[in-house]
Amino acid sequence: MKLEAKNVNFFYGDFHALKDINMQIDSNSVTAFIGPSGCGKSTFLRLFNRMNDLIDGTHLDGECIVGGQNIYDKSVSVDELRKTVGMVFQKPNPFPKSIFENVAYGLRVNGVKDKKIIAETVEKSLKQAALWEEVKDKLKKSAFELSGGQQQRLCIARALAISPSVLLMDEPASALDPISTSKIEELIFELKHDYTVVIVTHNMQQAARVSDKTGFFMLGELIEFNDTKKIFLSPDKEQTQNYITGRFG
Amino acid sequence: MKHTETELLELKKAISDMWSLVHSQLEKAKTSLLTGDEELARVVMSREKRVNAFELKIDSDCENYIALYSPVAIDLRFVLSVLKINKTLERIGDFADGIARFVLETDGHNQHLQLLKELKIEDMFDCVLEMLEKDKLALEEENTAMAGVVFTIDNKVDDCYSDAILVLAKHITAHPEDVLYSLNVVTLLRKIERIGDHCNNIMEELVFYLDAKVLKHQKTAQDKDTE
Repeated sequence: MKLEAKNVNFFYGDFHALKDINMQIDSNSVTAFIGPSGCGKSTFLRLFNRMNDLIDGTHLDGECIVGGQNIYDKSVSVDELRKTVGMVFQKPNPFPKSIFENVAYGLRVNGVKDKKIIAETVEKSLKQAALWEEVKDKLKKSAFELSGGQQQRLCIARALAISPSVLLMDEPASALDPISTSKIEELIFELKHDYTVVIVTHNMQQAARVSDKTGFFMLGELIEFNDTKKIFLSPDKEQTQNYITGRFG
Repeated sequence: MKHTETELLELKKAISDMWSLVHSQLEKAKTSLLTGDEELARVVMSREKRVNAFELKIDSDCENYIALYSPVAIDLRFVLSVLKINKTLERIGDFADGIARFVLETDGHNQHLQLLKELKIEDMFDCVLEMLEKDKLALEEENTAMAGVVFTIDNKVDDCYSDAILVLAKHITAHPEDVLYSLNVVTLLRKIERIGDHCNNIMEELVFYLDAKVLKHQKTAQDKDTE
């Protein structure tokens, strides 16, 4: 499913956090957003499943389009949107439930009662999240017994269980060790066959490793958006080069 | 200045020092050949080890920089270019050494100095030395504006080479007793012509580093298109 931002301006009160952002994100691809802290990349990511609606005093101009529909139209149901656009956060946030129930949660909330369908979906989601082999014999154990890396993959499985088309990831591996990070990156690479993945990361090598396209943000502006290979070998903008080579600031 | 930038500057200084050494080697090889100075030829041969030592050091420095700092964008292009320029300079150093060996193996070949003049070997040397200098200047000034000049000089070297082969063919016809020596001279001419090609390659690497453009094989591709 394609994503698009048209003339997006976003404000936290008087603060102009995103300035005239225009971007098209291809379906079945991984797109990375990089940039210094406070540049607006996470704010921009969260626009695509209306997470910013929860913050008082915010205001959006422009359009955020998911699968051809402006998701800020009054006719759009936020609950329905979030079935289509899943999100994974920086810190793993499993529910205080069993591994199985964590993944089944979204299905139950959405009214699925058939135990067979739930069991099949849980297994499928855990397999997609590359976690099934590690947890298949302890599905009834608490999710908190898993390691940080496993918990994060559990959260990904939970997001996948409701069959979204888009997966937004806000620094999904920043709290993980290199082995867990590597598993998450492999997973992201695999997920793009079935999903449109957008990831915010401070780890530029991670952006280079997993993404097809990279957007560089600074001070609320999208400075450059291009193929990841182009960004990391010969960026067009000097600001991009200064940032990715560590000469920024 | 950040320490990563200091590392890059040190790498740049190392390749620049190697460049100066190779240029000096080539100049000495030229003088020893054109004057039959065997002592100078021995100096070139003894200093070839320093060129090789530079190659090993710069290779190692590049590997370390990539491993430790994961460079991207212009820094990555710089390190990749230095790796290739390093190898190319070492090859030019080898050619200088080969020319010095030629001088010793032909006992200074004083009886053939007139032939070398007719072949305009000095002109060829001057051309490749100028190319090498301009390449070095492009790196130091981080400016590839003189790339076109370097490529034009290489065409001149190629023309000199073709002319020299014709002159040499006539010489062999007139002096069949010189055929063995003349064959060695062909190798010598080929070495100088190849140095010109290497200087071209160095400039292409600098254009990749500084302008993020790939010039390699473009001429060949264009030639094929017009065929």
